[in-house]
Formats: sequence, C-alpha cells, structure tokens
Amino acid sequence: MTEKILEVKNMKTSFYTHVGEVQAVRGVSFHLDKGEALGIVGESGSGKSVTSMSVMRLLQYPGTIKEGEVLFNGEDLVKKSKAEMMSVRGNQIAMIFQDPMTSLNPVYTIGNQIMEAVIRHQKVSKAEARERAIDMLKLVGIPSPETRVDNYPHEFSGGMRQRAMIAIALSCQPDLLIADEPTTALDVTIQAQILELLKDLKTKVNTSIILITHDLGVVADVCSRIIVMYGGLIMEEGRSEDIFYEPLHPYTMGLLKSIPRLDLGHKQRLVPIPGSPPDLIKPPKGCPFAARCPYAMKVCLDHQPDYYERKPGHKAACWLYHQDAPTVEFDTGVRRMKE
Amino acid sequence: MENRINEATPKEILLEVRNLKKYFPIHKGIFGTKKTNVQAVDDISFYIYKGETLGLVGESGCGKSTAGRTIIRLYEPTAGEIIFDGAEISSMSENDLKPFRKRMQMIFQDPYASLNSRMTVGDIIGEPIDIHNLAEGEERQKMIYDLLERVGLSKDHASRYPHEFSGGQRQRIGIARSLAVEPDFIICDEPISALDVSIQAQVVNMLEDLQEEFGLTYLFIAHDLSMVKHISDRIGVMYLGKLVELSTSKGLYEKPLHPYTQALLSAIPIPDPEVTHARQRIVLEGDVPSPINPPSGCRFRTRCQYAFDRCTVEEPVFQDMGEGHMVACHLMDKGKV
Amino acid sequence: MTDQFKITPDLWEPIVIEDREKDKIVRKSLTYWQDAWRRLKKNYLSMLGLGVIILLAFAAIAGPMLSPYSYSDQDLNMSNMPPRLELHRLEDGTFVHVHKEYRLYEVSESGELLGRIQHTKEDMINKTREFEFNGNEIVIDYKLAAINKDVPNAPKFTLTINGQPNDTADKTVWNKTYFFGTDTLGRDIFVRSLYGARISLLIALVATLVQFFIGVIYGGVSGYIGGRVDNFMMRVVDIIDTIPLMLYVILLMVVLGAGLLTIIIALGSVYWVRMARLVRGQVLSIKENEFILAARTLGASPWRIMVRHLIPNSMGAIIVSLAMMVPSAIFTESFLSFIGLGVSAPQASWGTLASDAMGGLRTYAYQLFVPSFFISMTVLSFNFLGDGLRDALDPRLRK
Repeated sequence: MTEKILEVKNMKTSFYTHVGEVQAVRGVSFHLDKGEALGIVGESGSGKSVTSMSVMRLLQYPGTIKEGEVLFNGEDLVKKSKAEMMSVRGNQIAMIFQDPMTSLNPVYTIGNQIMEAVIRHQKVSKAEARERAIDMLKLVGIPSPETRVDNYPHEFSGGMRQRAMIAIALSCQPDLLIADEPTTALDVTIQAQILELLKDLKTKVNTSIILITHDLGVVADVCSRIIVMYGGLIMEEGRSEDIFYEPLHPYTMGLLKSIPRLDLGHKQRLVPIPGSPPDLIKPPKGCPFAARCPYAMKVCLDHQPDYYERKPGHKAACWLYHQDAPTVEFDTGVRRMKE
Repeated sequence: MENRINEATPKEILLEVRNLKKYFPIHKGIFGTKKTNVQAVDDISFYIYKGETLGLVGESGCGKSTAGRTIIRLYEPTAGEIIFDGAEISSMSENDLKPFRKRMQMIFQDPYASLNSRMTVGDIIGEPIDIHNLAEGEERQKMIYDLLERVGLSKDHASRYPHEFSGGQRQRIGIARSLAVEPDFIICDEPISALDVSIQAQVVNMLEDLQEEFGLTYLFIAHDLSMVKHISDRIGVMYLGKLVELSTSKGLYEKPLHPYTQALLSAIPIPDPEVTHARQRIVLEGDVPSPINPPSGCRFRTRCQYAFDRCTVEEPVFQDMGEGHMVACHLMDKGKV
Repeated sequence: MTDQFKITPDLWEPIVIEDREKDKIVRKSLTYWQDAWRRLKKNYLSMLGLGVIILLAFAAIAGPMLSPYSYSDQDLNMSNMPPRLELHRLEDGTFVHVHKEYRLYEVSESGELLGRIQHTKEDMINKTREFEFNGNEIVIDYKLAAINKDVPNAPKFTLTINGQPNDTADKTVWNKTYFFGTDTLGRDIFVRSLYGARISLLIALVATLVQFFIGVIYGGVSGYIGGRVDNFMMRVVDIIDTIPLMLYVILLMVVLGAGLLTIIIALGSVYWVRMARLVRGQVLSIKENEFILAARTLGASPWRIMVRHLIPNSMGAIIVSLAMMVPSAIFTESFLSFIGLGVSAPQASWGTLASDAMGGLRTYAYQLFVPSFFISMTVLSFNFLGDGLRDALDPRLRK
C-alpha cells in the first residue's frame, strides 16, 4: 500500500527583489509516494529548483514561501521553526546538488563531512560515526573506502565527489532524497555511473527520490513518475510511460519534438519551440506557455487552465481538454522504435 | 544521414589537420622551470570536406576544445600542420594570418562570457566589420541590421546590452558576429551546451539553415553525442588527447568499433523509457586518467574491458577499417571481439 | 485555480502569431554604470563623501577669487587673530577685543574687525598697558600671566574700562573678517586653506591622471603579453616599489629644487606602480574569457583588445583604486610639506599651514586645527567614496 511521504499543496514562492516580485513558483501541488522516484522536469526559469529549495526551506533572502503547505510525513514543513527544520534536514530529508566542486567544503576531509551529519543527527560516538562513513563510501561505490575516508575533496575526481555527496546525503538514512541536477555537470560516462548508483540505492535502501533535471533522457532512466514544469506551474504530471508515449500538454510535446534522438536512424528535423521562457516578474495572466504554444486560443491568454485528468495519475493543465474545446490534431512528437 | 554534398562534384577538402599536438607546460620548481606537460592534444589527424559538418565528441579533458582553439590559432600548436584551403597556417604570423581570420570563425560555449558586457549588441556585431574595414557608415549599419535579422533578432536590439538578452539570444548574437566576415568555415565550440533544451533546437536549426544558405563548413565540438549525431555528417571521437574513432554519423552509431565509443553510446540517456530499460548498458569503471601522465600504450586501456598485454606496450595506430571508418584499437588486428 | 467565469465561444478561437510576444525584452534596461550609480546612491556615507568633495572643489576654485585676501597678503597688525572673538562692551556701544598678546582691537558687534587700537602707554615692570579709545580709558594688566602660566583656563589678564573691572566677555562672536583667523604673519587662514585645497586637489588630479595613463597601460600590456615580458615588467615594478618615497623626494629636490612641480614629479613617478599591478591582475583574470578569445579570432589587434575590451572591463577596479589612492597622495603631499620638503613659502598647502602652526600651538591651537580638519575631512571623504564605489561596481553584488 502506497503511502504519501511528501505532499505539496498549492505552494507559491516569490523573490522580492529591487526590480519587483519575481514569482518563481506560482501554485504547485504534487505528492511523492514512499519508495518512489519522481522526476521534476523543466528548463531554467520553470521553478523546479526553487520548488525543491522551498520544500527544504533553504530559500535565502529575498525569497520566501508566500503560500501553501509542504506536508512531510504528515507535518507541515512551512510552519516549522528554523531549529526544527535543522533537525529535519540531513536527517529525514537530504539533498544533493549540481556542482560537486563547490558543494563540498574543501578544508574538511570527506570522512569528516559525513561524520558531521551523522554525529549531529544521531548522537553517536566519533568512532561509530567513522565506521558509518566508511560504510557509506562503500555503499556509493568508492574504492578503498578505509583510506579514502581521510581524503580531501580536491583529491577526488568529479564523479567521485558526487558519490561522496550522495554518501553524505544518505548517511543518516533519510526518508527522502532530493537530487537537484545531480549529473548535469558530469561527463556522460560518469553520469551513467551515478544514475546506476541512484537506481541501485533506491532498491537497496528504499529511499524516496525527487530528481530535478532538464534532461528527459535522465528521467526516462530513473524515474517512474514525472512532473513537467514551466513558468512556475506544473503543466503535466503522469507516469513515465504516459509522459513519453501519450503526452497531453503541448509543452511536453514540444520538448519531445525538439530533442534529438540517438537511436532513431532516420534524419530528424528538430522542431524547436519558438520564443523564450516568460519573465516571471510579469508572469503571463493565463497559461504561461500560451505565447509559444502552436495550439493556443484566446482563452489561454487570459485564464489559467484547470487540470484535466485523462486517467488516474495522468493530468495536464490545458484548455484543449475542456469539454467545450475544439478538437485538435496533435503532432505529439512521440517517435517509437520501429520493431 | 545523406551527404549534403553533390556526388557529382569532387569532394574538396577545406581543412586538413596532420599530427597536431598541443601541450601545455607545467612549471614547477623555484625558478619556474618546465617540469612536465599536459598533453591536451596528442597527434591527431583528420580532414573536413567543404560544406560538411564534422562532429568532434569526447568527455572533459579529451582535448576537443583545445583542438578547436589550436586550429584557429588561439593557441599555438606544439607540433603538426594545419592546412586550410591549401595554405599551411600553423606557424603563420598574425599579420599573414589576418586574411584567414575572415575565412575561419568560432562560436563559443558560454553565452554569458562570449559577449563583452560593456558593448552594445550593434558594436559587438560591428567589430569584425571595423577590424577588416568591410563597410562604413550607413552601409555598416545596414550590415549589422541584416545580420541581426538573419539570426532572428530585430533592428532595435542593436542598441541594447548583452545582459538584457537570454542565453539563446546571446548565442545568436555570437553567431551573427562570426557571420559578419562571411567566413567559409566555423568552429562551433560547444555552442548549445549552456542553453535550455527547447532553445538548443532553435540554435541548431539556425546553424543548419545558415550552412545551407552560405555553404558553410562546420567543425562541431560537443559532448552531447545525440546533438552531434543529428547535425554532423561525420563524427570523430576523442579520448585523452587522441582520436580513437572517426566515421560517418550513421556508421558510428550502427557499427561502433572502438570500445570507448561503444561505452559512450550506451551511456547516453535516451528519452524513451522502454528503449532505455531494454538497453545493454556498458558502464565504465573508474575515472578519466589525467592528461599529465596518460597511461602507456593505448590510453583507454585502464577502463577497457577488452584490454590485453599489447595495449599496455604499444599505442594503436589510427587506421582506416574501410570506407573511411578510422579506428585506433589493437582489437582491429585480431578481428573484432 | 478556477476563477468561475463564463467561457464564451469566441474564447476558443486560436490566437494569431502577432498576438504573441516573441523575443520581446520586458525589463527596463540598466547599463552597468546606471546600476552602479543606483547602488552608490543608496550608500549614504559615500554620497556624503562625494558631496564634500564637490563642495571642496567648488570652494577651492571659486573661493580665493571671492576673497579680498590673497594667500600671501600679510598684515602684521592682525597677526594671530583667532576665529572666535571675545568682545567687551564699552559704554558707547562699541566693542573691543583683547588679543592674546594684549593688543586691543575695535570690533563691530557682529564680529568685524574695525581696527587696532594702539596703546598709549606701556609699563613693562608693572605689566600693564593703557589705551585710550573714543574717550574711554582701558587698562590691561597682565601680571597674572606669569602666575597662572601653567594653569589652563585661568585668566591671564585683567581688563579695566574707565576704572571698572570687566573681566568676563560680554559676547563671543565669529570673526567675520578672517573666518578661520590669521597666522603669525597676519595672513588669512581661510583663504590659505582654500589655496591649500587647490594644491591638494591638484595633486589628486595629477596623481590620478598619471596613475591612469601610465599605470593602466603598463599593467595592461604586461598582463596581456604575459610570460617572460610580464615577469620582467613586474620585477621593474617591484624595484620601483622598494624605493623609499622620502629618500626619493629628497633626492629629486636636490636635483630639481623644492616646489609643487617636484612633488608632482615625485608622486607621479611612484604612484603608478600600484595601479599597474592591479590592472595586470585584472587583465590576467579576464584574458581567457571567451569574449576576448572571440575578439582574437576576429583578428583584433592587441591594442584594440586592450583598449576596447580589457580596460573597459577593468574599469570598476581601476576607479575604486583611483579613489582609494587619492587620499594617500594628498596625505603624502601634506606630510612632505609639513616636514619642509614640499611647497615653499609663501605658497599655502595644508601641510605648510600645519607646520607654521606648530610654533604657537599652545596658544593658537586653531591654526593647527584648521588644516588638520581639512586634511582629515578630505581623506575621509575619498575613503567613504572609494568604499561605496567598490561595492557599487562589483558585478557580483548585482541583484
């Protein structure tokens, strides 16, 4: 029986800068089941990173969560105090970041950094913490963990540093791991290693994962459910097969049409999505994608669409699925391998 | 992928690179004496036909960017020859090189660093016109406006500053700048890596359109093999300063001969869950060795699942396995595994 | 998410391309300098500093033209007049002021010095002086001076007007004839301070110009060429840096003679060094940026790259450095003048004013206070401005 480990309800986050209010996240609701890998896909400005930072309550001034609830194991994280959040972070929810160069402290050994998290949250002795650190390094596949635990970050390569980050994140056996573009800065072959590791850990340790990325290939590999964000809102949500083979939202279709496919032999003309993402200081009144959507209608410009659910678990925010909307022939962008 | 070049006309080689090397010295010791070298590019040879796109792929540290920059003489080659349209340019003085600067251009990776933030877009695009005295006054303005429109921007963007534009737009400004001199050959150094997915297609399509319109030749350097395969006629794969394989795009994908190419292809994420899960993944162990002290013999042997004793001792020769498909691997002599 | 509204059939119509906003730039554009100015304006101390500097510049240029005195006009009768005058009222409504040297002056009620009143009789043994003025008999008895010599704030004399003792001042006013008083030779300190401001600001300007041209170009060339040339050029810089400034100035003065020009040459030939180092550092860090590489591939000459790309992108650091080095130059000149190595008499520099004041320091403290105040205020103002500029021009702090 699947229980929800995380439930985000109508979360809105804004940055109050000197040029105005940048509405980075404008009403996002989703959930994550225990043991599940959820992918949040979007481009820059979509609000995906800000969403995860909001869930972790890691926003810096001038960003704040304007509205909404973040229910983690039933408790609303938005209402928690700073001290309470500090015991949640690292302990129950852990995060790994994009750039392994800058997310590790260069003046402490890797072992120290893992131990720091363990000691802080689980009140074990230093010796036990060190044992745990070595175990974690073994878990993430770093060779000779007994010696490497005393190495400094600069003695690790990029891929190993990312593994070390994962080790730190998992050291307290969190229920939820948020990975924000964990492989974007890595080489392709190293990326493959890290993704294998994440999948492996999911089965071994049963961690729930939120994977944030712009790379559809990565989510196809790791995630079972996917959320597509654009302009601070969720455009479409569904199981991996739904999104890739039966996309509902024109943005999803646009993405699928615009990425080159390695495996498809015939010559493909990429169909780009014209225009650029909206500026969130003056967010569009209606659907954020309307300005770039080939199927946009007048109603799309002025009113944000409701969510239309084609089947349980697969929904899209698009006026085209309203009962009165005209029927449209979609070029879905789905290209399946010829058998 | 069809050859864009008409089969009837003989294929003309626009650029040939022979045994190109670029080493960066590392200074150690009190008086800064040279101790050792970073062998960034170590003896690569290839050629590019007029009108085609040669892709150059590899991971970080493989030397592909260095190769590109050395070819365009941003770096001085340590050894080897660069022959552009018959002229050997690897050791020309800057003065002699200047006319060639009109014929070969470069597009850079970082849209935020490749434009001078203190200059207006109009000045940025106008700079090459000024340097080579191509036009003045009214005519110059017209050229600038034309270029802006050709890359999908508008005239009133000329008085704006780079920071007012998005990444994709800035890349287009960079492309307009390099087009101002009407080059024959453009080296694209990771031009889309820093852009959003939906913008990448815009820029790539534009590059393809420009190629057709002006008969441009491209050297397309990137680490995203999917995109490289899409735009290139032929692809070269680099590893740690060496070319390990070079073939047509189709040939490379359908019949990868080098173990590294095979691993690379299998590591690339495919946006299709069924295909991805059905795939046979070759996951390489370990990390890329350092280019300061590369492994002896074949550089890939430390991560290669097929490595045997000859690989440690002898460097494999980059040779033609038929129909222009070049590979550097000892397995070729044994008969492929 | 649903606003309850009626969806009319026309809303289902597709929108035409023109309705969309493709590639439109929404935000108001701010150039680097506009943004920097906006940030600088918010920094109150910096704006204060800037205001003071502008005011000082105005005063230095216009002030001496409006003053009736020049920096060298002497009036020994009026020597050592303080800026604040203690007045004693006479019966007929006129006021007199007793000078520290026991001279007597007629002063208007508002503080204008109307003239010196010569004593009619001086008795050195009894230490008295007698004056006759407008029918009044005034006696100043300064025996107390010797007795109370080391007691501060104790009266040093007694004043008797027409037989009545009149020891406490009736009024204290600002000296309207000499705003900041006069010095030992009776020269107006206010005007001399303004001339001193001229000199200091001139030094500032020259130091700035020399630094800018020589330092920026030297450092730019050194950084751009790199390698051995850069090494060599920087070693030259190091050597110049080790020369002690004082020694160098003295040597120059021996060769060229004292004066403002010598100081300018001395400072100019040494100050560019720091700027050169700074610019070289900036150039080294920018050199490998892609827009520089792009300029090279376009075929730009090294000169063009330096002038159009490298230096404009270093301007932030250059300006901050200029603003911070100016107070150092001003202070150095003041110091040199103070110890006698700077401008020569009767030219007025804040430093010479200060050194002139040393003789009568215990009695006429204001003579030192005035130039010190000017030096401090100017140096502080440039420091505040420089601090603010550094924050405002730092591109990383741009929000």
